[in-house]
Amino acid sequence: MIRRLLHSSLVMVSALAVIPVITAAQAPTRVPPQPARADVTSAAGTALPIATRAERASHARPVDRIFGGYGRIPLHFEPNRGQAPAEAEFVSRGTGYSIYLTASGHEFPFAFMIPFVYLFNIIDAWKGANAANARFLGGRAEAEEQPEVESPVWGGSLVLLGVLILLSNLGWLDIDRLARWWPVLLIAVGGYFVYNSLEARKASGGSAE
Amino acid sequence: MTRSAFSPEGVTFGVCLVALGVLGTLANLGKLELLPLLRTYWPLSLVLWGVLELADLTIRRSSSGRS
Repeated sequence: MIRRLLHSSLVMVSALAVIPVITAAQAPTRVPPQPARADVTSAAGTALPIATRAERASHARPVDRIFGGYGRIPLHFEPNRGQAPAEAEFVSRGTGYSIYLTASGHEFPFAFMIPFVYLFNIIDAWKGANAANARFLGGRAEAEEQPEVESPVWGGSLVLLGVLILLSNLGWLDIDRLARWWPVLLIAVGGYFVYNSLEARKASGGSAE
Repeated sequence: MTRSAFSPEGVTFGVCLVALGVLGTLANLGKLELLPLLRTYWPLSLVLWGVLELADLTIRRSSSGRS
């Protein structure tokens, strides 16, 4: 079990570590470096430092510095005229980062994988814990009565969900119209629990009655 | 506890990685557009996962019925 949990944790941590790496890899390198300290030129032509507020803030606590700068960070978008990938319509450039606005939202192919990795790890850990519980119960009847997934509900739900989303993606089904029927899910889950309890009672010979 | 030899989510994860690799390679070769394809057809991974779970359940039930 420990090895299984360790494996799940490692995959989870590596998935977390992948996010900033991918984000950094996607950041373009064409952004010209900007000076850390901005200067203005006075009427006499001499450079006057304007970073006195920042210098004062450097003596403040880090949290105060962060929140003190909130809302003062310049952020503006410019139309993409070839300075960014073709799918970007507007670009905001800063020191070491760029933000692209596309017609269909943020393009990030690995975003498809990350939720799947998280879901996989949750299910895997849950199954591992169930198997470990069954082993620790040591062959008692309860251990055999609580298998990992002894019902077609989980597999059937996955297939149903996948088919519904796929049909919606293909434009053959308006999934928003189905959304108003979400309380039916509660009824189904509740009914499933009731059915399971009744089956368990029946299997134990109705001793509780 | 009877446990079948393969884990459905593991197989699904592997198949998805292989599919992503193949599609990524084809996209890099200019054969297809990766993002619209993924955006449309990613629920197939859920379908595959569900089918494998159901197959795993059927195999476990049949093997426990035989023993």
